[in-house]
Amino acid sequence: MSLIPEELRYTKEHEWLVATEIPTIVRVGITDFAQSALGDIVYIQMPKIGENIKADAVCGEVESTKSVSEIYAPVTGVVKRVNEALNKNPELVNSEPYGQGWIAEIEISDVSVIEKLLSAAEYRTLTA
Amino acid sequence: MSLHSPLHQRHLALNAKLADFGGWDMPIEYPAAQGGGVIAEHLAVRERVGIFDVSHLGKAEVVGNGALDFLNELITNDLTKIADGQAQYTMLCDDKSGGVIDDLIVYRKSASNLFLIPNASNTTAVVTAISEVAPPGITVNNLHKDFAVIAIQGPNSKDVLAKLGVSPTLDYMAFAEITLDGTPTIICRTGYTGEHGYELLPAWSEAEKIWDRLAEGIKEFNGRVCGLGARDTLRTEMGYPLHGHELSLSITPMQAGASWAIGWKKPKFWGKSIAESEKINGAHRLLRGLKSLDRGIPRGGMQVKLGEKVIGEITSGTFSPTLREGVALALLDPTIAVGDTVTIDVRGRESSALVTKPPFVPSHVK
Repeated sequence: MSLIPEELRYTKEHEWLVATEIPTIVRVGITDFAQSALGDIVYIQMPKIGENIKADAVCGEVESTKSVSEIYAPVTGVVKRVNEALNKNPELVNSEPYGQGWIAEIEISDVSVIEKLLSAAEYRTLTA
Repeated sequence: MSLHSPLHQRHLALNAKLADFGGWDMPIEYPAAQGGGVIAEHLAVRERVGIFDVSHLGKAEVVGNGALDFLNELITNDLTKIADGQAQYTMLCDDKSGGVIDDLIVYRKSASNLFLIPNASNTTAVVTAISEVAPPGITVNNLHKDFAVIAIQGPNSKDVLAKLGVSPTLDYMAFAEITLDGTPTIICRTGYTGEHGYELLPAWSEAEKIWDRLAEGIKEFNGRVCGLGARDTLRTEMGYPLHGHELSLSITPMQAGASWAIGWKKPKFWGKSIAESEKINGAHRLLRGLKSLDRGIPRGGMQVKLGEKVIGEITSGTFSPTLREGVALALLDPTIAVGDTVTIDVRGRESSALVTKPPFVPSHVK
């Protein structure tokens, strides 16, 4: 059983999102389901600060001992911060996918998109 | 329809992540929640001890009067260089192309009884190729499901066996028939990890008994059950070839740097003329090690370049859990030397790497 916190929003590409500085800054990462499927994560190619990213477009990569997976931007916006700690400790994504293992913070212009993402219940159905 | 190891129920009970290996549904890793995962399993073998189910590996025998002389005219290595009770790494090549049908371990039980361990997906090809040319009186039997193969690898492997009442004084690559807690098994000082270790070959029906004893025995040494994911990172760190990657029907032993496993003085073996020609004229590509100089992780199939020029391709690549950096094996243009810096095309990004001579970490097999 993977962990799916109620307060987050999700994508079918296994990213999570939460508003950290309401209303416009959101924090994103990959889900517990995703990290478990990937196995030991050894490298994360994060988006660049200031980069404009587009919803559903590739904005980074998560590499495990076995394989590489792309990170899809859950929303359109500008990258404000990336989790520099992951450069030294990529395994934080395995151990705390919703905490210390967050990947980036994005400034969005249209907050209504958040409500269009999957709820915890919907994501639970998707991964059941 | 996937084939299952005799230990399949054990893997299911441990919630192993399973994947297809040559038609067999085998554990790739055990759950992180129970302390598993490729890196933890890998480090357990390097530092302590781990056990692997490798029952998907093929098993076959060549038996009958003159079996040794017959087989020795086919395979690359020289079976007369070892004694009864010893095993040898060898290759079976296609006589015309010189490419490798399979690489395998041959156990020399006697001059009339050779036991073979080919790769899972090549077992039928090996058995067929040898049977087709076997003279009357010599038979080749596919024993794929007659024996399980369980590897115990790592510096504490001998201590685990000693606690179970087995103190095999086996030299590297030697084997013996023993009983472990009442269960008969063949045991050989072999492995695919670069650590001191053993491979046990109990009867298929006895596999669970041996596995359970070993799984219990490793606990005292903080050992781990290990999947084939860790086996692959361990062998890659040692630069050991894997058929389908570093060896194949289109890759010769000389290209793969396996000339040490060729009995050059033998009057014949399949692929000898090609091997000799490549020995004299040089192969058009050579297997080298690559060590990432940045955060890039090389993967099989990626192009290797020197400037703008493509000079080869990665055959296997991974993150090395021991070194915590990217390592790879690659078939490169023979003009590229150890010590050169090359670039790897990592999905459109250029990553630089140093050309090295494997192993990437010291071997402890002997």
